[in-house]
Amino acid sequence: MKRRVFVKQLSLLLTAGALLKSSLAKAAYKVQQLRQRYLRPPGALEEAEFISRCIRCNQCAEICPNNCIKFFGSENGIDSLGTPYITPREKACILCMKCGNACPTGAIQPVERKLEPIISQVNMGIARVNEQLCLSFQGKTCGVCYRACPLPDVAIKIGRLEQPHVTDACVGCGLCERSCIQIPQAIRIIPTHTLSTGSDS
Amino acid sequence: MAQTSKPKSSRQTPKSTKQTKPDSKATHWRPSLMLRHLNKLRWLSLSVVFLMLILLPLLSIYQNYVAAHAYNHLASSEKLLYDTMEALTSPFTSDPEHDLDIIKGTTWSGQLFGLKLSDPLAVVNQIAAGLEFYWPFMLTALIPVLLTLLLGRFFCGWICPATLIYELNSNLGIWLEKLGLRISHRRFDKRFKYGVLAVGLILSTVSGTVLMASIYPPAVIGRELYFSIALGGFGGGTVFFVITLLFDLLVAKRGFCRYVCPGGALYSLLGRYRLLRIQRVVENCNDCGKCNAVCEFDLTPMRDNFGQECNNCSACIAACPKEAMTFVITIQDQPEQGVGHHSRHYRKAHHKTNTLDTDDQS
Repeated sequence: MKRRVFVKQLSLLLTAGALLKSSLAKAAYKVQQLRQRYLRPPGALEEAEFISRCIRCNQCAEICPNNCIKFFGSENGIDSLGTPYITPREKACILCMKCGNACPTGAIQPVERKLEPIISQVNMGIARVNEQLCLSFQGKTCGVCYRACPLPDVAIKIGRLEQPHVTDACVGCGLCERSCIQIPQAIRIIPTHTLSTGSDS
Repeated sequence: MAQTSKPKSSRQTPKSTKQTKPDSKATHWRPSLMLRHLNKLRWLSLSVVFLMLILLPLLSIYQNYVAAHAYNHLASSEKLLYDTMEALTSPFTSDPEHDLDIIKGTTWSGQLFGLKLSDPLAVVNQIAAGLEFYWPFMLTALIPVLLTLLLGRFFCGWICPATLIYELNSNLGIWLEKLGLRISHRRFDKRFKYGVLAVGLILSTVSGTVLMASIYPPAVIGRELYFSIALGGFGGGTVFFVITLLFDLLVAKRGFCRYVCPGGALYSLLGRYRLLRIQRVVENCNDCGKCNAVCEFDLTPMRDNFGQECNNCSACIAACPKEAMTFVITIQDQPEQGVGHHSRHYRKAHHKTNTLDTDDQS
């Protein structure tokens, strides 16, 4: 009898612990989702579809000449285990469009390396300028982000004192964030998937 | 090599004719001697695939260096890597940055000289996860599927990079046993892996991710090799792989391949009606049981029990002392042929019937 009671209590405790742990993990995951900014490689599908398409073959990173694609462990949830991402501050995408050709499943769609297809099909995120931090907006001419941009005068236009103005054509490659000389960065990429979750809720 | 092998074969032919002449009723068909060496070829193929998995990340690093025009900024070890890779690839290409893009990936999914190939499990699991048919990806598994339909579960024995490690691991187990360590050889139900396949696919559909990629050893090992070489650190898959190694070593010999591997299950199902099969030549067999002992998948070749799970690895052919195992092109296994004609049991039984026959005649 005693053993039975013990087993009962133990199992109750374990289930309660597991429930608590999973709920905590879920909450932490949500917080992290809001906090961390990662980009999917250029040409990637919408987030949920991307996760179901990606077979974790690493070919996108293997073919990337800039070596900017990294892989998730379990930190972004078990769903995206082993999926590729880019942290623009560490190393940004140079829009060479090789990963789309390498991807066997079309999780990263092949995009032609020309201005029109890149603007229309690549949607990693969009750059946002923090005018309080940006040197050019504070009266010191900088213009580094404009010069780093692979689509100058299309994605970023500059005004007086080389103040950057991001247009809708920005594909979110992150080279501007990578090059920004301010710490914390005055120009940052808002990833597309965080934008879409923001509009949902 | 050729000079030494020629006289051997010439010596072989008169022998066989001599043997066939005396007992004309039983046609002794001896398989070619070359079949015994297929097992060595298999080890070669396994090692080549494994070395390629190490080489490809190195080539990828080399490509990064070339793309960055950074030779003067490299550390001395990186320069060594650059120089070796340049020496390796310079006979084949003058533009490594772009030309080397044609060999990429792992056995899970990769590109071999421009030809994209994928594991059938990757395709099946991707369909289950996404609930959609993406034809360009499905076609990449066409060649492996066709080969599996013809040759059976050959991937497991001839290509799978995990097999190399698992086989070395089981050899290590044998050595440990010789040194006196007690190792349990538990047996489980081999049908368990089909359950793993089914449950894995269902869970992939529910969760919408390709789950097999993290529990399928060849995929895990390809990824981990890439992570450790090119990205400078192992991922979580290494822990999983080490656990499977310990399971194989301490609980069940080749346990993961036999009982758990979902890819093996899929290949077994695909290769059920394969054309190329190993068969026992009962006339030559002496029931020594070496083939049973050496079989990776715990089949019993000595009792003609191959079934869908045989991977045509030819280890039993190499182990057989009587040349009683051979490759045949048929769609069905032979039903059990009973005891081998060179075995003691057969001789006893046969002797009895002979005497009975003579009694009837008299």
